[in-house]
Amino acid sequence: MSKTKRDYVRAPLFDLDYLLYDFGKLNFVIPGLIWLRPKWVYENKAAKKRIRGSAILMFNHTGFTDPFMDQMAVWYRRQHYVAAKELFHGKFLTWLFHVFHCIEVDRQNFNFQTFREITDHLEKGKVVSIYPEGHINQDTAGLTTFKSGVVMMALRSGRPIIPVYVRKPAHWYNRAVFCIGAPINLREVYGPMPSMQVIEQISDDLRQKEIQLSEIIEK
Amino acid sequence: MLTREDIIRKLKDILISADARNAAALQACTEDSKILTDLGLTSVGMLYMVIAIEETFNIRFDNVGMNDFVTLRDVVDYVENKLK
Repeated sequence: MSKTKRDYVRAPLFDLDYLLYDFGKLNFVIPGLIWLRPKWVYENKAAKKRIRGSAILMFNHTGFTDPFMDQMAVWYRRQHYVAAKELFHGKFLTWLFHVFHCIEVDRQNFNFQTFREITDHLEKGKVVSIYPEGHINQDTAGLTTFKSGVVMMALRSGRPIIPVYVRKPAHWYNRAVFCIGAPINLREVYGPMPSMQVIEQISDDLRQKEIQLSEIIEK
Repeated sequence: MLTREDIIRKLKDILISADARNAAALQACTEDSKILTDLGLTSVGMLYMVIAIEETFNIRFDNVGMNDFVTLRDVVDYVENKLK
C-alpha cells in the first residue's frame, strides 16, 4: 500500500534555531503543566485532532502571562507570537522575544514586510499565535472587537484558524481550562480575497466563536 | 509599460472591489486624496490594498510602512518606481 502524501508542510522537529526555545519550553511548560493540571475541553470531534502543519492559533488575552498559558494549551507545537513593538524594550526582553521567535509588529506604522514574515512562517509549516483583540483585556464584560489582521493572515496563507479560549485559574490551587475550537478554513469558504465588508464580518464571527468557547467552559 | 493613468485606474478598481459600498466616492478620488481620511481606509484596508497591488502589478512592497503612504499619489509613485 502506498503512503498518502501529506497535504501540509511539516516544520522540522529538531532545529538549532529553536534550541533555546525548546530548552525554555522544557523547563517552564512541563512544570507548568504539572502545577496547573490543565483541563482540555473541545468544541467537537474535529477540534480534538492534533494540529498538523501550519495554523493560526487565536487566543483571548487577559494578561502578560498569557503566552506561558497558551504554550501549555498547545504544548506539542512551537508557537510564534505576534507581539507589539513596544514590548521589545530593553536588551533582555528583546533577546527573550527573539529566543521565542516572536514576530514584532509596529501598530502605529504597520510594516508590510511583517505581514510577509507571518505568511512565510505559515508556509514553512509553523504555528503563529495571535491575540486578535490587539491588547490585554481585563474587562469582565467580555471580549472586545477583533482586529481583522488575523482574517487577512488566514485568507492569504490558506491555513486554518484554531480558536482557543483560555480560562486562567482564579487561585493558585485551581486548574487552568483550555477550550479548543474546530479549525476554521476561511479560504475554503470565502476565497483568497473577499471584500472588506466580508472581512469585517468574519472578524466579528471569530469573536462570536471565542465567546461560544468561553460558554462551553462555563457549562 | 503601464502609464500613470493606467496605474490609477487599476488602483481605483482595487479600492472599489475592496469596498463596493463606497464606490462612488472611490471613483471620484484623485491623486491628492488622503488614504485614511478621504478614502476611509483602515489599517487592514491598507493591507488589503497593498496585497491586491502586489498581485495586480506583480511587485513587492519592501520595507515600507503604512505611514509612508499618506495620499494616493504616494502609492502611485511607489508603484511607478517599482515598475521602472
